[in-house]
Amino acid sequence: MHAVSCRSLFFLCVVTVVAGPSRMLAANEKISFNRDIRPIMSDTCFHCHGFDAKTREAGMRLDVRDEALKPTKTEALPIVPGRPEASEIINRIFDDRDPMPPVDAHKPLTPAQKELLRRWVAEGAVYEPHWAYAPLVQPPVPPPARGDLNPIDAFIRTRLAEKQIKPSPVADKSRLLRRVTFDLTGLPPTPEEMATFLADPAPDAYEKHVERLLASPRHGERMAVWWLDIARFTDTVGFHGDQNQRIFPYRDYVIHAFNANKRFDQFTIEQLAGDLLPNPTIEQRVATGYNRLNMMTREGGAQPKEYLAKYGAERVRSVAAAWFGSTFGCAECHDHKFDPIKTRDFYELQSFFADVKQYGVYGDYDYTRNPDLKGFNNDFPFPPEIEVESPYLVARHARAQDEIAAHVTAMRRQAQAPAAAARLATWLDETRAYLGRVPSGWEPLRATKAELRKGDKVITERPVTVETDGTVYGGQPLANREFYRITLQPDGGRITALRLEVMLEPPAGPVEWKWPPSNVMLIPSVQCAEGEVRKLEVVFADATVKAPRFINGAELHGITAGWRLPEPTKRETVTGVWLLAEPLTLAAGESLVVIVSGETLPKFRMATSRLGARDPLAVASAATLAALTAPQPTPAQANVLADTWMMSTAEDPAAFARYHQLVAKRNDTYGGKAWSMITEATQPMTVRVLPRGNWQDESGPVVLPATPSFLPGRLESTPEKRLTRLDLARWLVSPANPLTARAVTNRLWALYFGNALSAAVDDLGSQGELPSHPELLDWLASEFRDRGWDVRHMIRLMVTSATYRQSSSLRPELRDIDPANRLLASQNPRRLEAEFVRDNALAISGLLDLRDLGGPSAKPYQPPGYYVALQFPDRDYFASDADAQWRRGVYSHWQRTFLHPMLANFDAPSRDECAAARNVSNTPQQALTLLNDPSFVEAARAFAGRILSAGVRDEAARLDLAFQLALSRPPQLAERDSLTTFLAAQRAVYRADLASAKKLLRIGLAPPLGGDLVEAAAWTQLARVLLNTQEVITRY
Amino acid sequence: MSPFDPTAHALSVNRRTFLTQSAYGLGGIAYALLQSKLAAATAAPAPAPTGWNGALREAHLPVRAKRVIFLCMAGGPSQLETFDWKPQLKALDGQPFPASFTAGQQLAQLQNMVLKARGPVASFSKRGQAGIEISDLFPHLGRVADELCVVRSMQTEQINHDTAHAFMNTGSIIKGRPSMGSWLLYGLGAETQDLPGFIVLTSQGKTGQQPISARQWSSGVLPSRFQGIQFQARGDAVHYVGNPEGVCQSTQRQVIEEVRRMNGLLAAGTHDPEIATRIAQYELAFKMQTSVPDLTDFKNEPQSMLDLYGVKEPGDGSYASNCLLARRLAERGVRMIQLYHRAWDHHDNLEGGMKSGAQDVDQATAALITDLKQRGMLDDTLILWGGEFGRTPMGQGTGRDHHILGFSVFMAGGGVKAGTVYGATDELGYRAVENPVNVHDLHATMLALMGVDHRRLSTKFQGLDVRLTGIAGEVVKGLMA
Repeated sequence: MHAVSCRSLFFLCVVTVVAGPSRMLAANEKISFNRDIRPIMSDTCFHCHGFDAKTREAGMRLDVRDEALKPTKTEALPIVPGRPEASEIINRIFDDRDPMPPVDAHKPLTPAQKELLRRWVAEGAVYEPHWAYAPLVQPPVPPPARGDLNPIDAFIRTRLAEKQIKPSPVADKSRLLRRVTFDLTGLPPTPEEMATFLADPAPDAYEKHVERLLASPRHGERMAVWWLDIARFTDTVGFHGDQNQRIFPYRDYVIHAFNANKRFDQFTIEQLAGDLLPNPTIEQRVATGYNRLNMMTREGGAQPKEYLAKYGAERVRSVAAAWFGSTFGCAECHDHKFDPIKTRDFYELQSFFADVKQYGVYGDYDYTRNPDLKGFNNDFPFPPEIEVESPYLVARHARAQDEIAAHVTAMRRQAQAPAAAARLATWLDETRAYLGRVPSGWEPLRATKAELRKGDKVITERPVTVETDGTVYGGQPLANREFYRITLQPDGGRITALRLEVMLEPPAGPVEWKWPPSNVMLIPSVQCAEGEVRKLEVVFADATVKAPRFINGAELHGITAGWRLPEPTKRETVTGVWLLAEPLTLAAGESLVVIVSGETLPKFRMATSRLGARDPLAVASAATLAALTAPQPTPAQANVLADTWMMSTAEDPAAFARYHQLVAKRNDTYGGKAWSMITEATQPMTVRVLPRGNWQDESGPVVLPATPSFLPGRLESTPEKRLTRLDLARWLVSPANPLTARAVTNRLWALYFGNALSAAVDDLGSQGELPSHPELLDWLASEFRDRGWDVRHMIRLMVTSATYRQSSSLRPELRDIDPANRLLASQNPRRLEAEFVRDNALAISGLLDLRDLGGPSAKPYQPPGYYVALQFPDRDYFASDADAQWRRGVYSHWQRTFLHPMLANFDAPSRDECAAARNVSNTPQQALTLLNDPSFVEAARAFAGRILSAGVRDEAARLDLAFQLALSRPPQLAERDSLTTFLAAQRAVYRADLASAKKLLRIGLAPPLGGDLVEAAAWTQLARVLLNTQEVITRY
Repeated sequence: MSPFDPTAHALSVNRRTFLTQSAYGLGGIAYALLQSKLAAATAAPAPAPTGWNGALREAHLPVRAKRVIFLCMAGGPSQLETFDWKPQLKALDGQPFPASFTAGQQLAQLQNMVLKARGPVASFSKRGQAGIEISDLFPHLGRVADELCVVRSMQTEQINHDTAHAFMNTGSIIKGRPSMGSWLLYGLGAETQDLPGFIVLTSQGKTGQQPISARQWSSGVLPSRFQGIQFQARGDAVHYVGNPEGVCQSTQRQVIEEVRRMNGLLAAGTHDPEIATRIAQYELAFKMQTSVPDLTDFKNEPQSMLDLYGVKEPGDGSYASNCLLARRLAERGVRMIQLYHRAWDHHDNLEGGMKSGAQDVDQATAALITDLKQRGMLDDTLILWGGEFGRTPMGQGTGRDHHILGFSVFMAGGGVKAGTVYGATDELGYRAVENPVNVHDLHATMLALMGVDHRRLSTKFQGLDVRLTGIAGEVVKGLMA
């Protein structure tokens, strides 16, 4: 009879067939609960008979032994140790008429699984604590204990020996160096490095190269790719308008941390709670950008409270994934079905972060006012941020300053050359005459005509007043799209600069003014007698008072693109100066037309000057005027004269233009400074348990920070002492917590062996996988924790093991015994990660730019129009210029909603949330990318250029070189034959079609190849072939 | 007999495990194994997989539709100017909106505002033999009214665009959930090998545009081969599908041939089944280089066809052109075709915006239905037209705010009950009161029409069985013929 009549007891409907490692158990092998039973029960029993009391059926609980031995509501005994025939669960799993799991759960047990369960009960139904949550104790290394035997090999070989499998031979030397160079730096070895290694007969030659690679700055870049996935580092906020956020200094911090081999405990503490350390350094504050990398929104209509709940929940998921390798996500709404994670644990963990200052909606909308973000629009950044020095920008700033100084010196030399003396003197005379008439250097202009307009329409019913001093006064605020059109007739001569003075005094009267005025725009043009209008280019403009303006998060320089006034602004007169890109001389009958707009422009007046200056605000400065009028200029004044002449007249138009280009370039280095989002602590928000995750439901209890209840060494807040992020961070890396060391070590392992020891790196819980080598994982994790959280020590242990050094050629005879190569009888081939696929092609071609470490994101070529569906703000994508085009992929701009197609095609994650492991797919999109993405085509032609210009003329030697560069080995005979034929065919193609050769050879920004175009095109095609081979994108 | 059951193994292991344990080529070959195309003991190097026939070995339910065309009206069109005629709301125009409806409900931009009723700004007529009330802004859809199954009782959970799209596409707002198209492709495979099985096209109107994200067609935790491929309006239709400048098709072929030879030589010396997969992927890539231009070459479409859809310039990226392209994709065996038309977020100028949006989509949508029917394809093509949410019966300035408690969509074709209206909102169009259909129900029903039991299409992720419908969703029989 069946004590339990309910039909849908054990499960939720699911389609998968079996869980857990596929494993055959020998008849005499003792059953292990963790290895054999927990995976089955977790997948098929615990949903209805597990941790979650709310969904527990029939009062039967099977995850805890004491509970499983108790009678259920219907007095059945689920498990009777040693007596399967008396155990309800065993009877039911073998019951064909009313089986467990029920048929509609679609989770039938296999006969083997049923037999396992039966045997386990027969053997006494021994439970074991879940391996990942058990205290971490370093197990002994299996014998034979030998000083020269890497403990990793002891564990791996013991298992192989049990299965009577021999390890694979060591990989050949060149492949080994190539493997470890990719694994430690993400780049291929150079031919020189390879030659050094091959020529080194020392027994520790390999170890020496490992040390060299670990010490290389490229190592930090490689490790950053790993950690930035986990930290969900991106350049954009992710929700809705997916605006840019300012955060690259955090990436620099990560790169530096790995290069400095920062202890992982310190790395953890700084990211989660660097701001709470005593006297935090700038670096430690930058590290707290980690807490700000959750997706954010600025969408109009979004409720701050709803999004704060989303941010809070994401943070729990990401922190748990990063440091626990655990899945807290489900516990947002209900107690975890398979793990002892309770809803309360979820919100208690979230509560640690309740003090992180952030806004649910990063805007100031009518429906939800936010005084902190007053005036913010879609182009604004996402505070709080700090301004820090960026070594990359500092270096570029200094370089740009040097270039400017050199250019100015050259211009002065030109101006002060004897040949120019006469012209300089003439100009000086003219200028002095001008200053006699206009002593200030600024000629106030009274408009000959002043109109208020909307488009082409003159608004005649609102006449514009022009006072005698030239002040224009419209009397009313401007409506949308209205502007003033002012016609000016300067008194002959040249115009170099325009000045707009705005009198910031709200005019009296009944009209309600928006105060202060903002977003002033000025557009100058020239109108010919016939009425034709020619727009004038402005090279740069600046103002005495201005509020910062942004374009998609980047601060704009000066006021060239518009002028926004800060709030509050004093009642004063503010001045903007616009420098024309070319000094203007009006012809007879021409007039200067200026369009001035702004939401509110109370009173303003215009002036022009025929004096130029390097900086708009220095036009007609006191020093300039003094130099111009000095009877005997000092040497310093002579320099001012020379500068003013060159900048006023554009005597040398090319030098004038070049000066402004250099300034624009320098401005983009922001004085060597950059902003970075950080964590600022504020009064903690109240955190409640949200029933079913519903942010509008306030019926749940308020919780305080506490570490998860199911893990050892629990810390709990008390009403007197609220725990902080710092407490959490310290606890995460304390000896009490067994999970962090296991999760991190497990993930590190995957970098060097293809699979993690517990393959599901993002789930070490009961639905995850028992490690292939549990003792090895615990040994490594203990080593990590007990030897100072030394990441490099762990990497060194792994890559110097014999297991690592084995050949990666798979062993067909082991296909059935170990289909996934979990026993590691050989290495696993590993396709390079997306960033390294591109880095590698650039390295082979010689284009790779390794001059700098760190810095702002770079933009590789991207197909046009890819961001067309993005708005708020609208945007386009401008690929970086040659200064940043060939930087490593770790620096690539990361757009969450539209990740660069090359990165996406090669399985880089969008990093919306913590991405602990990447997919490894093999798709036609990857083929198309390698074949046709301009980055790879350009790399191919640069690679061809490198081969052709290397000084070897013989085709065979060139092929040797090509193979050395691309594959670190010489070509085999068959390869050589095939490619020689291919090359001949390509020569024929391009000899007949030179035009196509030219087209192919100019793809990308790199200088086009010269010389024999047919030869260059043919070798470019050969280079394309090599860059497309599986061997190039795989580390074997 | 091998103790290793590759199919069971591939189905059972965690997705991450599945993909990272690629030692013997699970990345590519396991798929082939799944399809029983290879015996477990095939000698290496194994032949490469050629395609993907779906995780389902057989349909769970009768197959009514073979493909889906989802016409996503991004921004959230107003139900009150499309398919839900509310005379009482018109009568209440400008009056305070009864607080009994709105108390305690979530609002978007109307939070903390005075709520006033806004009457419909369009007139309605009964259309077709079924007499379905349809807004006069959509005369062409009115002419195919008897093909439509209008759902007036849709509800969703997310009130902002980004998350509402995520919910409508993936049934969840948690990142990494696969989209509907990815599920269909994963479950059923595609009938084409030369084209991606899940294709996304976008267009935009003159007003009411809102951004969308590639996340909406992401395969999430499913392998990336199941993600939607967005066709671009500018440049190559598919990223990198065009040869580099200076490389013609035959030269490109020579390159691919040579890559194949190099990879073949590598395979001879190294046991790595990914090499065979790679070779096959280059073949597929080359086929796409031919088939995509062929697909987007409209010159075989007669002028009458262009006129039917209202296509001014074929391939101009307009919604009309995309509808015609959708039909061409359907003909070629693409499983899921999703069009986004970004035009429907009318917080202001509702009247002008609805007119303009209707002009964009009315004729082409009706033409697609008509065209498919003429070709005998409507019977097994499921069309869904609708936004990520609807709009408030309360006014917001000259427009309407986002609304989630009641809105309208329609389906047509593949197994749906044609010429019917399902469900109803209350007298003011505020809340679905008769037969409410939530997004999970819609998904469950669509999957059912495709022959899939929504509870049985799942994948393992982080120990969970992830499904399109989560742990919810009921098949709505009332929508099915």
